[in-house]
Amino acid sequence: MLSVLLQQGINGIVVGSLYVLVALGLTLIYGVLVQINFAHADIVTLGAFAAYFFTFVLGGNYLASIAVALVVGAALGWLMNALIFAPLRNRGNELLPLIATIGVSIMLQNTMLAWFGPIPFAFDTPYSNDVIRVAGMFFTIQSVLIIVVSTATIGLLYAFMKFTFLGKALRAVSQDRETAGLMGINPNQLIMLTFVIASALAGMGGAMLGPVLVLTPFAGTSVIVKAFAIVIIGGFGNVEGTIIAGLLVGLIESYTTQFLDPGLIDIVVFALLLLTLALRPTGLIAEKREENV
Amino acid sequence: MTIKPTIRHFTGAAIAAMIVAGSVNAVFAADKTIKIGALLPMSGPGSYFGAQDKQGIELALEQLNKSGVNGFKFEVQYEDSACSPLPATQAAKRLLEQYKPDVAIGEECSDATLAIMPIMEQAKVPFVNAGSSSIKITEPGNPWTFRIMPNEVMQGVDIATNAYKKLNARTAVLLYENTNAGIGNAKVFSETFTKLGGKILADIGFGRDVNDFTSIATRIAGVGKVDVIPTYTLEGQGLKITQALAQAGVTKGGGGQSIQLGTIWLPFGFEQKAGKAALGYVRIVQFDPTDKREIVRGFIQAFKAKYNQDPTHLHAHAYDQIILIADVVRRGAKDAQSIRDGLAATKGFSGVTGSVEFDKTNQNIKMDTIHYMETLPDLSWKAHGWN
Repeated sequence: MLSVLLQQGINGIVVGSLYVLVALGLTLIYGVLVQINFAHADIVTLGAFAAYFFTFVLGGNYLASIAVALVVGAALGWLMNALIFAPLRNRGNELLPLIATIGVSIMLQNTMLAWFGPIPFAFDTPYSNDVIRVAGMFFTIQSVLIIVVSTATIGLLYAFMKFTFLGKALRAVSQDRETAGLMGINPNQLIMLTFVIASALAGMGGAMLGPVLVLTPFAGTSVIVKAFAIVIIGGFGNVEGTIIAGLLVGLIESYTTQFLDPGLIDIVVFALLLLTLALRPTGLIAEKREENV
Repeated sequence: MTIKPTIRHFTGAAIAAMIVAGSVNAVFAADKTIKIGALLPMSGPGSYFGAQDKQGIELALEQLNKSGVNGFKFEVQYEDSACSPLPATQAAKRLLEQYKPDVAIGEECSDATLAIMPIMEQAKVPFVNAGSSSIKITEPGNPWTFRIMPNEVMQGVDIATNAYKKLNARTAVLLYENTNAGIGNAKVFSETFTKLGGKILADIGFGRDVNDFTSIATRIAGVGKVDVIPTYTLEGQGLKITQALAQAGVTKGGGGQSIQLGTIWLPFGFEQKAGKAALGYVRIVQFDPTDKREIVRGFIQAFKAKYNQDPTHLHAHAYDQIILIADVVRRGAKDAQSIRDGLAATKGFSGVTGSVEFDKTNQNIKMDTIHYMETLPDLSWKAHGWN
């Protein structure tokens, strides 16, 4: 039984790490812009497809495809903000960019549907089916890769936010955009940087999720609902809270599957969300407001 | 112009043989049209159904419209019913209001089909279904809905019986998506299997938003010796389940002993996508590509010529829906009411997937549409010939 408990713990951490990668981008954008980006899910999907085509059509290495997906995501984030969201924000109506993210999401989904078709892609990496069995437990090399890449990314992001000038500037903008502007920080450039980083994370998350997800043009939407829940549980705009909440949701999924029923996963996760809203409406570690992005 | 059938009780095989050969001798000029509304999932996780159905339909239309049937040509209007009740309801209403079809076909997903049925009944438009298995579709029955595939009870009883008697299975774990069809199929398997003396070790339902099945596979690995794992899900989740079960060392594909049992829901090519994890997988298919009947050989040949690919059961059953309607038109039907009456009177129709003859609930009673296939190490199929 102990091995089953440990196994489910590993399963939960793997899934939770993937959720964190996706949710971090959402929380970064919300922290800086106080805006929900509904197109985030589709950048995840595009990242997954970028990695898939780089690996299977161009014959590239899967590890390199993670970097490719990151670049594709970053480019998309830059494009979307430059062409759509920034001009709409400049009109002074905060609702317009929000609605635009819905429009962009629908457009991206249908473009992918037209290009890639509706039939699920089998995205098996060289690491997907290599299974390591130790002490009654099993895990694929892909799972190890997911944890390593996620941990490294989270660590780098944390260090960037905490110790670099740009990271500190981002946090300043998230706390008070106008005052940050008075201090010589250009909020528009930092908003662009936020979109680029968040979308790069989403693209990279897609490359990691691709072999796990059912890869279709709608793949990202199945993850994004959980990611939104994680962002709320962790506290909107709170990086540390998002990391903890993501891992927590992953573990809840695994142990709910083991001891209750996988059909109850959403009930348990969203019950936690409601509980958080009722008891700690600003998230798990909301008291650290000064550390919000 | 009065349309009278020149030949009664034409079988689908005869129709198909003639249209494939391009030798339908149209007595009347094909100046009238039978309008067919197709409610298919073209978006969302079930959209692979719609994409393949459309290919089968287009092939049938191309063949039939070369010379028409009894002076009629056939036209299809597609609407996206998205494998889900709400969009299916909206699509059905849109179809009826804007296109006014003589007959409708679709959906694949039972929940969507159940949502469409009352709308078609109210409009008095016959509705032919080929891909939904829920018993609720034909029990107690709807005078305007006809199903050409075996329902969940027919499939479930057959699979459970063969699992117990042919595979000597005594223990099972049920895996199914939490939909009408998933729950219904699993329930029928469970009832039949336990009645025969088998034991269900775990009953695991899951939502369509579940992506990672490692946790479920871990749970199954811990329940003891499992002989069979009947699995009721769409292709995408099915792939992930098969791979996770192999990674957990549960199924033959991962060095275990359990045999996964699959349904008609999975498309052809599933095994190639799942890879070696699919080894030993036994599943039923609605269309046997090794079938020697002339209608099957002709269909495969024409399909390959048009699309440069092998047909799947989805292509086949979509094709069958159209040629069944054509058969009814050949027997004299010309509008919604006469198509309904013609469908109800169908006997001895032989399509690509098998035979069709409806009982009083409009359920096809023929079992020759169920073919058992086992996945071999080279990922090809071995036909068991159990039916």
